[in-house]
Amino acid sequence: MPTMPSIFFIDGRRVEIRTRTIRQVTEHLKAVAAFVGSTPRRIVRLDEHLLNRCQRFLRGHIVRNSQVIHGIRKHLALGDFATVMTHWWGEHARQSARYAVCMLALGQAEVAAVWAKASLLQAAKSFAARAGETYLEPKWISLQLHRMDDDERVRRYWEVTDSSRHHGSSADHAMRCISLVHDLGVRGCENTPQKLLVDRTSDVTTWRIGDRVHLVRNKEDVFVLGQAAAVVWRHMVWQRPVATIRQAAVTAGVEQAGTIIAVLARYGLIQVTWQGTAITPVLPMASPGGTVTPRPAAVDPPLLDLRGATASSSDAIDLVAVPARRFGAAAMAMVWGNIMVENAIEDMRGALDRQQWRVAELTARRAVDGGLRALLSACGVNPLPPDAELVHRGDMVGPWAREILSAAEQLHRVGVSDPVQGKALLERVNYFVSLIRAVCGADSFPASFDSASNWQTTLDISYDWLRLGAYLDAAIPIEEARDLLSSGGAQPYIAPGASRGLATAGGTQ
Amino acid sequence: MSDRLNILVTGASGLVGAETTSRLVRAGHHVYGLVHNVGEIVANNGRRVSSAPWTAASARESGVVRLLRGDVTRPRFGLDSETWSSLSASLDRIVHCAAITDFGRPPEIYQQINVTGTVHALELAQENATPFVHVSTAYVCGNRDGVIAENELDVGQRFGNAYEESKMRAELIVRKAAADGLPATVVRPSVVTGTVRSGRVREFKNIYIVLKLLSKGLVSAIPGHFDACVDLVPVDHVAAVLTAATEDFDRARDLTLHAVGAPVRMRDVSDTFAEYPSFHVPRYLDPNTFTPDCLSRVEKKYYERVVSLYDNYFLRRQRFDSAIADRFVRRPSTAGSSYLRRLIDYALKAGYLGSTLPVADRALTPLKVGER
Repeated sequence: MPTMPSIFFIDGRRVEIRTRTIRQVTEHLKAVAAFVGSTPRRIVRLDEHLLNRCQRFLRGHIVRNSQVIHGIRKHLALGDFATVMTHWWGEHARQSARYAVCMLALGQAEVAAVWAKASLLQAAKSFAARAGETYLEPKWISLQLHRMDDDERVRRYWEVTDSSRHHGSSADHAMRCISLVHDLGVRGCENTPQKLLVDRTSDVTTWRIGDRVHLVRNKEDVFVLGQAAAVVWRHMVWQRPVATIRQAAVTAGVEQAGTIIAVLARYGLIQVTWQGTAITPVLPMASPGGTVTPRPAAVDPPLLDLRGATASSSDAIDLVAVPARRFGAAAMAMVWGNIMVENAIEDMRGALDRQQWRVAELTARRAVDGGLRALLSACGVNPLPPDAELVHRGDMVGPWAREILSAAEQLHRVGVSDPVQGKALLERVNYFVSLIRAVCGADSFPASFDSASNWQTTLDISYDWLRLGAYLDAAIPIEEARDLLSSGGAQPYIAPGASRGLATAGGTQ
Repeated sequence: MSDRLNILVTGASGLVGAETTSRLVRAGHHVYGLVHNVGEIVANNGRRVSSAPWTAASARESGVVRLLRGDVTRPRFGLDSETWSSLSASLDRIVHCAAITDFGRPPEIYQQINVTGTVHALELAQENATPFVHVSTAYVCGNRDGVIAENELDVGQRFGNAYEESKMRAELIVRKAAADGLPATVVRPSVVTGTVRSGRVREFKNIYIVLKLLSKGLVSAIPGHFDACVDLVPVDHVAAVLTAATEDFDRARDLTLHAVGAPVRMRDVSDTFAEYPSFHVPRYLDPNTFTPDCLSRVEKKYYERVVSLYDNYFLRRQRFDSAIADRFVRRPSTAGSSYLRRLIDYALKAGYLGSTLPVADRALTPLKVGER
């Protein structure tokens, strides 16, 4: 049977016909009847379309077969349906008002006013349902209340919702709405911000790479936080009052902490609870509730560097344009590409010292390939093309990297046969590496094998990415990197005990 | 319920001892608690167990623990002959919980409390062949990896610290006494932490201090393997196993029971820490690469004074079999990461984690000696 109404145009009028079998209608009524006597928290889970079908069937005008219709209607008494609707709207009103209280506590008066007004409408629908007015569509609220206009609360409703009479601030308006919600019979949503606690949402984790904070949501999305947002995030302690968190972040110098916390909640990176119970504001018959995902942040290439993604501003909570696993895998590949560059340059220097020209040529190409791996990874390319193709894959990074690719192509063709050419090759490779470093985080990546402290920095960055890679089960080049990481970067051509290299430097092995 | 028993619990004010005492009292047994310096028994939920001083003429009454002050390191616990004789004559069971469990103490301390203390407790049991329930540790297995069976003890393993070694020596002495005819059973808890349901723990010691230092970033890197794991056991499960072994001693006699919980992998620690925005996630470095010199001066101090005492646990790949213990009390089924999250949540709620660390010396104050 169709679930969409059939539309007919008869004598210039539009006629909607909704068809259901007796069995279907009976099941609808029984499904709702099963909730009679349940708690509002359970009742609010009832689907609005199911309720609407019951409402239409129970309150419709019978044209014929009244005996059959009355027989079916016995499955759900009108009074019981009104009670269910009273709780259903009441719970929605409660959740919306709690969210409004939360927004007030975070200094988001405009948003608070929107939700307080929504709560008031829902509370009015609950109030009407208590009087037997069970129609679901909010658009009829004025006519429903008109039939109850001898109630003082109805008069106040029109006063509060009449936009021409708003003279106070948005916060004042929100509080007036919340106060009337209470008077309309919806309890448990008073303006008591101390009841608001922050709590975790499942599958949101924090990964700091160097000084940058990244959040991973559902192992799918990566958000990068700007400096102020990161300060606020670091102050989050689950099950502490949201006002306390906000104040602590303000004290730490982030005046706009309330706005940042509101965005974190909107994106589902935290949740704010009412004494431990989730707040779930929804606008029935209007829009779905739940968390929001922003558009991916627009950034100039590259997408990431060795410390991860870059936020667009201090307050920003930016969605990174690649999914989490690819983000982790690309970053690891970039780290490894940089280590490969350093490793190859060290090999190249050793080969030049020993006048091993062919070895020097090959190690130069290896340094170039490592740099190109890092370059493509910085653009979010993952998995990478084979090394032999890297130099021809300018189409994957865009015209902005033309100079780098041109330099790489030339280096792939360079030959060496004497010390002068060797020195020139080293200079050109170093220039190429400087271009790569400008892309991959400039000075953030150390010349790994120059000193113990540089090697330690390399290890720290690598292990930061390893933690995230392990969490995401991302493809990480660890097998390839492990030997180097655990050997401390010792070079095969350097004799044990020699002063160069890290096998003997700084005690980090 | 089994018949009412007269039970002596040594180390009755310690974490495991108090929880076990509380359960035995609630079960209606006549419980005597041997305590060193503490004058009251506080169960893990923070409630005091009703107590009164022990006297030879004490009426056997339910709901009250009778306390004796004594020192397990001294012959006959330092009790006078009359008390010793009267006590030994009255007992149906001895549950030997008294031990020092914190790390980093001089070897002679472990010898005195954990080994000599056990010898003295056995002497009391041998007076009248009183059934003896000995609290050991699952970590008598030392550093060896793989599945650790409950019936394994001395297989030539190497130990991570003097505590483990002392508990091994004590267990060997108990086994010798058992071979000589003393009815005995051994219960081996792993790392004792908060309750299985709420994570509640009476005091934050040992592993909790490590969690605090790591989560605050006061030690940012440790030698560790992602797949290494530490077994954390809820204190209520340990007490339940001890109670079961005490009440159902005929069945538990000559058995060794692993009172263990959830293996928590180092990866679980990393991933779970990442769920807490204010936490730092430690880096796990290859043990061949790691040296304390890679840490800052302050970190190095914390590492050397606290974390290093535990660091070989970050490298072990051990799984404790509990088939025998499961016949008495089923092992908690909670996954390691879920249980760790519960422990952290409780510690946050209690204000231990997420708060300012006391000055280093206070945080590192050696733990109370003498009672588990």
